[in-house]
Amino acid sequence: MARVDLEITRRQFFGAGFAGAAAIGAGRVPLAMHYPDPPWFANGDVTTTYNYCDMCPWKCGIAVQSVDGKVIKVDGNANDPKSRGMLCGRGQAGVSFMYDPDRLQSPMIRTGERGEGKFREVSWEEALDYTAEKILAIKEKYGPESLAIFGHTTGDFWFTDYFAQAWGTPNAAKPSSSLCLSPRDEASSLTLGFPVGGHEPMDWDEIEAVAFIGSHVGEDSRNTVMQDFVEARNRGAQIIVVDPRFSTAAAKADHWLPIKPGTDTALLLAWVNVLIEENLYDAAYIDEWANGFDDLASHVKDFTPEWAASITELPADQIRATARVMGERHPQAAIMPGRHTTWYGNDAQRMRAVFLVNSLLGAYGRHGGMYFNKSPFLDAYPHPPFAVTGSSGGCSAEPGEEVSDELPLGPSGKARADGARETFLRGATAMQELIDPMITDDPYRIAGLIVYGVNLLNSVPMPSRTIEALKKLDFILAVDVLPQEHVAWADVVFPEATFLERYDELSTVPYKTPFIQMREPAVAPLYDTMPGWMMARELGLRVGLDSFFKWETIEEYLDTRLRSVGSSLEKMHDAGGVIIQEGKPYLEDFGDESPFQTASGKIELSVIELAEAGLDPIPVYEPTEEPPDGYYRLLYGRVPVHTFAKTQNTPALSGVYPENELWINEDEASALGYGNGDRVWLENEAGDRTGPIKVKATQRIRKDAVFMAHGFGQQSEGLTNANGKGASDTKMMSRYKLDPISGGAGMRINFVRLVEGG
Amino acid sequence: MASAFLLDMSRCIGCEACVVACKAGNELPSDRQYIELIEQTSGTFPNLTGGFQNHRCYHCADATCVAVCPTGALFKDNGLTRLDRDACSGCGYCVQSCPYGVPKMSDGRSSKCDACASNVGGGGSPWCVTTCPGKALEYGDRNEILAEANRRVAALKDRYPKAQVYGETQAGGLGLILVLPDDPETLNIPADPPPTPEVANLWKNWVQPISMGSTAVTVAGLGVLGVMARKNHLAEIQEIENKQEAAVSTGSAEGGHDDA
Repeated sequence: MARVDLEITRRQFFGAGFAGAAAIGAGRVPLAMHYPDPPWFANGDVTTTYNYCDMCPWKCGIAVQSVDGKVIKVDGNANDPKSRGMLCGRGQAGVSFMYDPDRLQSPMIRTGERGEGKFREVSWEEALDYTAEKILAIKEKYGPESLAIFGHTTGDFWFTDYFAQAWGTPNAAKPSSSLCLSPRDEASSLTLGFPVGGHEPMDWDEIEAVAFIGSHVGEDSRNTVMQDFVEARNRGAQIIVVDPRFSTAAAKADHWLPIKPGTDTALLLAWVNVLIEENLYDAAYIDEWANGFDDLASHVKDFTPEWAASITELPADQIRATARVMGERHPQAAIMPGRHTTWYGNDAQRMRAVFLVNSLLGAYGRHGGMYFNKSPFLDAYPHPPFAVTGSSGGCSAEPGEEVSDELPLGPSGKARADGARETFLRGATAMQELIDPMITDDPYRIAGLIVYGVNLLNSVPMPSRTIEALKKLDFILAVDVLPQEHVAWADVVFPEATFLERYDELSTVPYKTPFIQMREPAVAPLYDTMPGWMMARELGLRVGLDSFFKWETIEEYLDTRLRSVGSSLEKMHDAGGVIIQEGKPYLEDFGDESPFQTASGKIELSVIELAEAGLDPIPVYEPTEEPPDGYYRLLYGRVPVHTFAKTQNTPALSGVYPENELWINEDEASALGYGNGDRVWLENEAGDRTGPIKVKATQRIRKDAVFMAHGFGQQSEGLTNANGKGASDTKMMSRYKLDPISGGAGMRINFVRLVEGG
Repeated sequence: MASAFLLDMSRCIGCEACVVACKAGNELPSDRQYIELIEQTSGTFPNLTGGFQNHRCYHCADATCVAVCPTGALFKDNGLTRLDRDACSGCGYCVQSCPYGVPKMSDGRSSKCDACASNVGGGGSPWCVTTCPGKALEYGDRNEILAEANRRVAALKDRYPKAQVYGETQAGGLGLILVLPDDPETLNIPADPPPTPEVANLWKNWVQPISMGSTAVTVAGLGVLGVMARKNHLAEIQEIENKQEAAVSTGSAEGGHDDA
């Protein structure tokens, strides 16, 4: 450590160095009490604009301070129910993200081979006309369904939702669905009749016990959750953390369960067993609101803590004790649903087990349990009927959206190409399942791809398969702020203005108090960039979708929507950038209605739909494949100052955490001859390698797994700070396991070993 | 009346919002930061405890850095240790002498938290305090901060029997009052930092004041001497920076990412 080194030099300093210093300093006057220059906010006219943060998908309301046309500082908006005036480190770096000198600065058309990254800068006119011509040719030849649209981050609405539905492609997908939330939200829909929604509806103010399973409060920097977690814990709420790693949250927990990876369902079934066997569940609540209790009770009869102990490698006593911690506090107790739930390919069943525990605790609609969130009322801007109903889901999907039995068909009669209803039961379009059709033309050809804000080669598993697909497409448009790795494969590049430089769609947040957030520009777009809404509209006007883009200005679009709630852009700005409405969070707010939107209006402990599809109506534990000798299971997650594969190049954040580290159990590391700070490469079973990555030899992780932050190891010369830094978890994912219920891609089934050299 | 920070480590969740807020609000270059979160772990798997050292200036009342600073760039003000980087000669003595190992060299000059002197002087609060999602940070009158720290420690005793206030007396009393869930050593904080060496106090209290008596001479010589002093120290600075780099590259012994 730095401090140890300096201890040694200090002695030398006071021995000899000091006399020299005194000699030099003796003739000098101390410049006492000189204050630095006045702060930036005293140096000119400070303008405040309101926005919602785009540095992660949590969308905190922010107040953006600019001085003389330069954005200086972003703070949490004190009026916003999510940020409450506070903001995480990534949000604080929004200004750094915007002023990143590596940004894409002009529209470009490819001149070299795909992947070479050779382009010529063109006018917007040329880039838009060329793109329109190319996608119209695809529509002409194969039908509109043959254009796939992938989108992520807070502007994705315009391409993945609005343009896709107007154009008529059901092949629009977001990584936030099948690479993240799908198992959770499908399990919730099957059990309760609605998905969890963007903001996990924990009733933090009164909660008494909360369990986290692989959910990393603190490390994932969800601003509101961190605030609520700290407050609840400070109030005395019991914290249970289930994690193979001694995470930040585990270090704060009253109970840490260092579970064997892949065995969570066994633990959950044992918790159900204890709650029922020890009569710690809410019997009156279950009687009134749930179907299938008797089936569940007999199902779990043998799933005792002793049974689970041998599977999970946790002590039976600890399993029993933690079930009691929750049971004795019901209904003020719940398991946090978490977000990234695509782990082992049986994930919707695991999440069903989570919701069974929460149901037995009587948590839904109860003070201190899980409240019912509600979307704010806000009319859409009038538009003609869409050519196809969207199913991209993701963070911007709203609770209560129904998944119909029939898949929506595009204008030429084709449903989504991702195998939905055949290889998996239900849920949003699965992005990773659209890659194979690009290669095989099965079930039909996908010839074009628009990628908006998805770091394609650093977030979708099996990146070498993705490259094969990119080689085969007729046309690729990349819309991005930065020259991400996949941008080199595009035919056309649209450089986007960042969230601080643009108006955007209103953000409607399902919450205890539903609310609406606005995004207004702090400054005009830098360089020759353009907001996503404008690109979508300009493209729409060129491909015959004029009737969907009747508004002349974005201000008119937004004002029209806001009129439905008696507001306007100006009024909303003057009111502090947010409109808050009344919610219906608790059971008592529903009168005689049922808050549960299943067909029966009840919580389905046992799901008939699953039985009819040949799947288990009540979750069972299925073993996950074990790592072979010499290999470790690759776990991945977050560090507090980075989001996905998006912020690694942001100067302010790269300065704090420039490269990821490989967490490996200290004893394992020393047996392999590695110590802290050594650089190693990783190799998966397919022989793919990534690195070099710094070893973090630590007691904080089990011996059978290694862990690293996601999103590093990017290969793009245009990214000065991120290029070649650390190792890529995505590049180690030579396979994934499809969740047969939700279409989620289970990615924690890849194994790596430590090797020398790439 | 002295001001102080309250840093409640029972509430700190290691999210580094303070780190980046400080960089953003003070418009620091991307490679400079005044706060570091350094992970701390005790025990062996699975019997572990751990947390973070929220490493930043402790604002000592008896500040060794102030005592050894030859130019007065470091000075005490309102209980806090300010740094006027414009007046820094880059000698690096503060870096070598700080009992907490806080100041770093950056662009050839000392670099550390100055308690957002500019921001607070302009009517704001320190940037780290306003943004902290865990509300682990407060800023205010030192007596009130101490009282609040004692209240919090009393409330923490159930969960943390060894909870304690840190900073009331250390180094003459700190301007950063910590609420600690456990003994300071568990977060790699010295229970009692070594006092400022007598020779340094001698310099500050005797040599400097005497030299100020000959102001007319020294003001005239200041510019020349300043340049000379800077030149003389260039080699020294380079050495210190090299050492820091070497320390950082092997600095993940605790598993933290303490790059400066």
